[in-house]
Amino acid sequence: MDLKKTVFELSEAYGASGNEFPAAELALDMLKKYCPDAEMVNGNVIGKFGVHSESKLNLVLDAHIDQIGFVVTYITDEGFIKIGNLGGIDRRLLPAQQVVIHGKQDIKGVICSIPPHLTKGDSKVLDFDEIAIDTGMKKSELEKIVSLGDSITFDVKCRSLLNDRITGGALDDRCGVASVLYALELLNNCKTKYNVTVIFSTQEELGERGAKIGAFEINPDIAIAVDVSFAYAQGENEQKCGHLGKGAMIGISPSLSREISDILINTAKSADIPYQLEIMNGLTSTNADQYSISRDGAKACTLSIPLRNMHTPVEVISLADVNYTAELLASYIKGD
Amino acid sequence: MKELLKELCLINGISGDESAVRENIISKINGYCDYRVDNLGNLICFCKGKKSSDKKLMICAHMDEVGFIVTYIKNDGTLCFGEVGGIDPSVIIGRQVTIGRNKISGIIGSKAVHNLSKDERKASPKTDSLYIDIGADSREEAEKYVKLGDSVCFDSEYTELGENCIKSKAVDDRAGCTMMIELIREKPEYDTYFVFNVQEEIGLRGSRVSAFSVAPDFAIVLEATTAADIDGISDEKKVCSLGKGAVVGFMDRSTVYDKGLYNLAFDTAEKYDIPCQTKTMIAGGNDSGAIHLSRGGVHTIAVSVPCRYLHSPSCVINLDDLESSFNLVKALAKRVHEL
Repeated sequence: MDLKKTVFELSEAYGASGNEFPAAELALDMLKKYCPDAEMVNGNVIGKFGVHSESKLNLVLDAHIDQIGFVVTYITDEGFIKIGNLGGIDRRLLPAQQVVIHGKQDIKGVICSIPPHLTKGDSKVLDFDEIAIDTGMKKSELEKIVSLGDSITFDVKCRSLLNDRITGGALDDRCGVASVLYALELLNNCKTKYNVTVIFSTQEELGERGAKIGAFEINPDIAIAVDVSFAYAQGENEQKCGHLGKGAMIGISPSLSREISDILINTAKSADIPYQLEIMNGLTSTNADQYSISRDGAKACTLSIPLRNMHTPVEVISLADVNYTAELLASYIKGD
Repeated sequence: MKELLKELCLINGISGDESAVRENIISKINGYCDYRVDNLGNLICFCKGKKSSDKKLMICAHMDEVGFIVTYIKNDGTLCFGEVGGIDPSVIIGRQVTIGRNKISGIIGSKAVHNLSKDERKASPKTDSLYIDIGADSREEAEKYVKLGDSVCFDSEYTELGENCIKSKAVDDRAGCTMMIELIREKPEYDTYFVFNVQEEIGLRGSRVSAFSVAPDFAIVLEATTAADIDGISDEKKVCSLGKGAVVGFMDRSTVYDKGLYNLAFDTAEKYDIPCQTKTMIAGGNDSGAIHLSRGGVHTIAVSVPCRYLHSPSCVINLDDLESSFNLVKALAKRVHEL
């Protein structure tokens, strides 16, 4: 597997929360190489890896397939699209961003930006109800393609930066999806210590909803949520961040299983795979929070890929961390 | 014109670093006119027409675009920058950029929204708090790829929008350059000077010296001008609108336009049935500001393409307006000589 190519392809696919289909279909296609029986179940992509047996514990690897975006709420008489947000979005950087509206066909648009002669130097940030999208189309033409409820995503191509780093628009959490896929590739033909099931879950950005039903469906003993977390950059609090290129961040939190955290730490140590710790003091705001309390509960842990500028069109990760995350998952699953 | 506009918009050329744009334009006009490059980098072309007149006419547009310049490299490998031309911070954060001749990719990031305070979420950041991340971990590493003084441009796709609109960076003023190249290649009716100016965005500096050397009697400035015909803006504040044709203003922040030329422009538009509109607010400015005060004064008018989101990575224009502006300038130029 060409890891960088996989991350680029996944990150450039569209799949705003609740509208994950194109990205989910691509991920399903990629997953079938390792899990031939993988399928879409209520939007979630689910695949069983290898032969499962009664004697082994059930492990689920989760990465969410959705990304932040917007939803069409209204079309004005002048043909501008009014929007609501899907997930947490920094409104400060919206003016003049290029977006794609996923109607009957994908069409491009630009988020309206009020010119300086009308703002008088005022740095007020617009509320969502004041924001509109310009498609260059009249209402009558637009309505043939776009319906209320259609989703909208940032239109971003991935770019390589120095040091194995990548910038793109939906790296949260497509880089997690890529690392799960790469872990399966590393495991090919190896014996596994667990019955491994993979899920690429929907609607994480709206409150971990896909994982909630996925957890019930899969009913795992152990769950690992492979997601992203804050990488240190200027302006961030260094004490609360990981660092790019220094490995997956293993979660430790009252809501997570300390047993699994410790196994992951020991696995990383013995396999000499770089890792970092992410200490939280309650919920993790990842899908792990759903697996741990589904049915009769599961031992959950988080593995987070450090990421800068989260929820912006210029998210940044290090490809090395995607690789380290996959290596750690593979070693853990083999029982090394 | 569409393909030419696309090619020109995608070239990087901030104020003071217009050479790539100029070289491309020279390759397009070579053989169609006499030209020279002056001390500041203005490209001054003289095009022999089918006829001569006793009036000296100069048509001009500017080659430079807004962008940034690398001012400092920090220990952590991030780049500090200054704006070149006026750019609102809200269209700077969260963008991809390219740096220098080697086109190094970078991004202008910001603290994650999750970690912003309530007050921080409600106010645009100050530009001097922003920085460029190229993926370097140290100054030494960054210095291998980037130098102080390197130009920085928006990395933004040229794309078609809707029925007849396009979206790109640098439409201001590659739209004007595009029309001029077409005018030169078509060969004007009368002898005409065509000037591709530098440094408009940092204070109308190129046009000041080129207007002095050309010493025209009449000048037509081709521009892209701000259109605010967007959602939630009342009619009188829209300034001008896409799809309503060429924009000829009576006044802006830099110039009170020549009344004779203003009336002639609308008369010409009516005569040839060319869509044309004026501006409903006194906003913006262009090279006319320097040109109309050159030497003992120059009769000056500006013909502009209405453009939404000017000075952002996503300028939007309607190609019909480009066509209207082109037709208007062509007809107007002829009539100026026949005044």
